[in-house]
Amino acid sequence: MRAADAGLMVCHECHQLNRADAGQRHQRCTRCGARVHMRRPNSIVRTWALLITAALLYLPANLLPIMTVRMLGSGTPDTIMSGVVTLAKHGMFPIAAVVFIASILVPTFKLVGIAMLLFSVQRHHPMSPRQRILVFRFIEWIGRWSMLDIFVIAILVAIVNFGSLASVEAGFGAIAFASVVILTMLAAITFDPRLIWDNTESGNKHD
Amino acid sequence: MPESAATPGLEEVPLEQLAACPECDLLMLKPTLNLGEVAECPRCGCELFRLRHRIVGPGLALVLAALLLYFPANFLPIMQLNLLGRVTQDTVWSGVLSLYNSGMQGIAVVVFLCSMAVPLLKLLCQLAVLLCIAVDRAKPLGVALYRTYHHLREWGMLEVYLLGILVSIIKLRDMAELSLGIGLACFAGLLVVQVWLELVMSPHQVWEALSERRDARR
Repeated sequence: MRAADAGLMVCHECHQLNRADAGQRHQRCTRCGARVHMRRPNSIVRTWALLITAALLYLPANLLPIMTVRMLGSGTPDTIMSGVVTLAKHGMFPIAAVVFIASILVPTFKLVGIAMLLFSVQRHHPMSPRQRILVFRFIEWIGRWSMLDIFVIAILVAIVNFGSLASVEAGFGAIAFASVVILTMLAAITFDPRLIWDNTESGNKHD
Repeated sequence: MPESAATPGLEEVPLEQLAACPECDLLMLKPTLNLGEVAECPRCGCELFRLRHRIVGPGLALVLAALLLYFPANFLPIMQLNLLGRVTQDTVWSGVLSLYNSGMQGIAVVVFLCSMAVPLLKLLCQLAVLLCIAVDRAKPLGVALYRTYHHLREWGMLEVYLLGILVSIIKLRDMAELSLGIGLACFAGLLVVQVWLELVMSPHQVWEALSERRDARR
């Protein structure tokens, strides 16, 4: 039985149970004072909005240079992918793999994964709720690790600072990339995982 | 557990004896736990409760340790780079400043928030919450700060930054002479203490501690 069927609402923040009061429009948690809802309001629409914005920024994030390493005045701008290729060419395979996973695989998986979760909630996809909750938890947990490249840029810009001899500059791709990471993290927060289970027992539809 | 969850008439059980999973909304009887035990949702496997021996004492000790490490971790050099006799060094703060000064203010702000501001705010919130519980005063403030902490939690990214440091070390190793600084040790220490603190401060116990006395007094 779902808490919602018993007229109970779990607080998003402190997980206290609250009895739904039909007379009140904006009910607050009796323990922590946060707004309580049966389900996050407009969860699906908001998640879609964040996800689509992230998907649009995904292109400049991957196509524009994220940083330029200059040695003796000459330097070629690096995109995320070319940075990985350079690492691999220098024989640094483990680190190339880490950067490839964090900067390319994870953001792509997040975009596809969240879209898949939204589709499955809206269209009663055959994927089992267990599989879906695993995908959700994985996305929630892994999201932050994509910031890796941004932090590497911050460190390199600070330390490779030898004037005309050698320097590192951040590129505009980095801004787009950071935005993608933040937007997909927000999308994972906005998505209400309880929707995954809602349409498995009763035929409740959500849109 | 699944049996009790399927029992009809769960609506009639008093609210205090019920619990619901925040991830899948399954309603169940609140389990009674012994010290050190963990309760998971029978349907989705989400961790619901974890009962720890003491949270205030170890929690305060860890928060203070983390705050002591915070400043050296962020302001002492993480590494030095020596290129043809010229030496540059890097701290977390200088990374933010360099980005800001090179015209990348947006990224500088993001790095500042995720690696410096949010981790510090989280620690200060945890300190205040633990003090509220310890002295049994100002509980509403404690509740507000603990809510703030939960909103911030996801955005503190010390562990990702540490991985970033490791990637940078490997990238720079071949380029010039690199030496590691004391800031790196403090940063790693800060990360360990912070993760430990998050394990010690079991959320449902903190929420109960923040709410129970206040209600009993009324």
